Amino acid sequence: MFRNNYDNDSVTFSPQGRIFQVEYASEAVKQGSVVVGIVSKTHTVLVALKRNAEELSSYQKKVIGIDEHFGIALAGLASDARVLSNFMKQQALASKMTYGRPIPLERIVTQIGDRAQTSTQVYGKRPYGVGLLIAGVDETGPHLFEFQPSGMTQEMIACAIGARSQMARTYLERHLDEFADASRDELIKHGLLALKESLSQDKELTVDNASVGVTGIAKDGKRKVETFKLYDGSEVGPLLEAALESAELAGGEAREGESMEVDS
Amino acid sequence: MNHLPQAWGRPRDDVYGPYDASYLQSRLPQAHTQSPIVTGTSVLAVKFKDGVVIAADNLASYGSLARFTDVKRLRPFNSKSIVGIGGDVSDMQYLDRLLNSLDVTENYSSTGHSLNAKNLHTYLSKVMYKRRSDINPLWNQMLVAGLDGNDEPFLSSVDLLGTTFSSPTLATGFGAHLAQPLLRKVADDESKVADVTRERAVEAVKECMKVLFYRDARSLDRYSIAVVTKEGGGVEGG
Amino acid sequence: MTSIGTGYDLQNSVFSPDGRNFQVEYAVKAVENGGTCVGIRCKDGVVLAVEKIITSKLLKPGANKKIATVDRNVGIVSSGIIPDGRHFVSRARDEAASWRSTYKAPIPLAALAGRLGGYVQAYTLYSSVRPFGVTAIVGGWDSEGELGVDGQVGSGPSVGTGGKKPGAKAGGPALYMIEPSGSYWVSLLITRDGIHKTDKAHSKGYYGAATGKGRQTAKSELEKLDLASGNLSLEAGVKEAARIIYVAHEDSKDKEFELEMSWISSMDGPTKGRHQEVPKDMLEEAEKLAKKALEGEDEEETTAPEGETMEE
Repeated sequence: MFRNNYDNDSVTFSPQGRIFQVEYASEAVKQGSVVVGIVSKTHTVLVALKRNAEELSSYQKKVIGIDEHFGIALAGLASDARVLSNFMKQQALASKMTYGRPIPLERIVTQIGDRAQTSTQVYGKRPYGVGLLIAGVDETGPHLFEFQPSGMTQEMIACAIGARSQMARTYLERHLDEFADASRDELIKHGLLALKESLSQDKELTVDNASVGVTGIAKDGKRKVETFKLYDGSEVGPLLEAALESAELAGGEAREGESMEVDS
Repeated sequence: MNHLPQAWGRPRDDVYGPYDASYLQSRLPQAHTQSPIVTGTSVLAVKFKDGVVIAADNLASYGSLARFTDVKRLRPFNSKSIVGIGGDVSDMQYLDRLLNSLDVTENYSSTGHSLNAKNLHTYLSKVMYKRRSDINPLWNQMLVAGLDGNDEPFLSSVDLLGTTFSSPTLATGFGAHLAQPLLRKVADDESKVADVTRERAVEAVKECMKVLFYRDARSLDRYSIAVVTKEGGGVEGG
Repeated sequence: MTSIGTGYDLQNSVFSPDGRNFQVEYAVKAVENGGTCVGIRCKDGVVLAVEKIITSKLLKPGANKKIATVDRNVGIVSSGIIPDGRHFVSRARDEAASWRSTYKAPIPLAALAGRLGGYVQAYTLYSSVRPFGVTAIVGGWDSEGELGVDGQVGSGPSVGTGGKKPGAKAGGPALYMIEPSGSYWVSLLITRDGIHKTDKAHSKGYYGAATGKGRQTAKSELEKLDLASGNLSLEAGVKEAARIIYVAHEDSKDKEFELEMSWISSMDGPTKGRHQEVPKDMLEEAEKLAKKALEGEDEEETTAPEGETMEE
């Protein structure tokens, strides 16, 4: 039985002016495993919890590099994300080809937003069932954007989407003031700790299920970009260790001191 | 007799000779611009230590007739660059509108992104190359003067074939023959640009405009000259 | 609504027996909960203002602009479904660009409003689409000066009028509001013999427009301004717009919000005929005055403006 008569397609408003199909698509985002993004004055970090379908299968990719200067993290239908990420790769390449400049993030985000809006207004299409965090650096500095199935896009300081992401958001809100001046390592640490908050009791972060993506302004030269770096598998190990260690320190009521030196 | 379908309803070859199918063609082959009509002559530009000087006269010739004498061929773009255009004037006007619409779309958001001269030159070179590949070229040669992404002086050319070329001094049209050798005395190598002052560059360009007016029959003694530096650019009548 | 459940509201473009298109009415519902938007047409320019409710602490302050620029001289702000608003803006930009490619000049506001009205109306005609869930305020300045055609590189003959009518007046501020039904209103001209005539060519639309959650309060505040007399200056308009957004926000006081404002002046005014954000210091000044005005109101008496209560 249908919940109501107004939720069969995305071209029907409910009497309250809601579009249920779009709201249902947002539910798909909440089914996906959690991803976290944070931005500082110099860097952006994407952190994701990967899931595997069964014990022996590999883990689903959650963080995708799009261009040298930015990447995305997804929660929801991975295949929908692939459509959007392919589109973004094309647009990023087109910008490089025609103007010789990395595409401004605001622009690429608007483009996927506009694309997603179309499928909420036309019969025979369905909204994308995926939420994205888009993080990177352009001419105007580091940015983090959130994309929702409705086509809504917003620039954030920090954001978490996906299953149980509320816990991560609570962590982010609590540490909001620390992000702006955080170093690259501290930002990764915050990302991993926020992610850890939203894990269910029986789970923990491992080198298998955690992904980290980082971009930033390179130290040398004023407009040089630190190429989007994806940490997966064994590479995540040192990052995890540093984060968990600092959490323990903080737990043992010692105010977190110098975070462990981690070389990328 | 030929019974094949392509011969049906046609005069017999054995009686009237082979059928000339070209008479059936109702359309001429598609032809695009094969020569410019109203034209502008040389554009000159010289890099100096913190900017670029660029100049072009104000004449649009119709063949050998000096048809329009107040045509502005230097086109500023967002205070960081100036495009100097020679060649067909109506194509120049098209390019002007193209740059205008680019400027409009670039300014929708006020978050501080802007195209620098290098970006602009890349864009224009793609436009020109696309048009020549469609065998429908924009009959122009352009110099893009301004600042690149690091606020360093930038100067480069693009022509109707989409060919690009860069040098501390550049001149198009007749100027390529007459002015370029003179300008190279100012800076014949990228390493010399740092020693060129603004005054020296302006003086050299003005001198060349004079030489061109004396020697190039399609030139005029009224010209526009512009200087782009970090402080912005400005076009002056001359 | 009594007709809910009768089946006439399940599809767009379907009339109910009493001649209503319910889907359009439902789209209006989506607008009624959006952030309040205000537009004021002053004598020398237009101000747009919007109340942006802060839905999360994690949002980047000052980013996420809701007022968009179309061409150079037009601003659009909308209440309702935000992605629909973006769609609307992108259509407006396409219309402006297409006008430019045909006429080699910027699109007049009246023409832009007409085309956008037509576009939005088309989304009420088919069951394969849904209406726009936005009401958009479109404000701008039609150049009063000599613009010349795009691509013009010379100044033409230096003698004679060049076919122009000397001393003719053109341009000025214009303000329109386009609703989910596609309707928008042009001003009524009253001729000397008292005949009302709508003259699209000379239309400048609304004096003041408001939409979104606080529209009722905002409208009554706008009415107090006596905009029809044409005395309000742009600078004063900026302050009024800020104040009205603050007053209209009183009903949802518990939520924090950010004020975003833009303006368009005459060619010789502060924005030179372009649509721009109101400068930061000016915005802060206007906000300070707005807060002060609210406090003063509270001191006098703590009653809401008479007769204006929210529906719903």
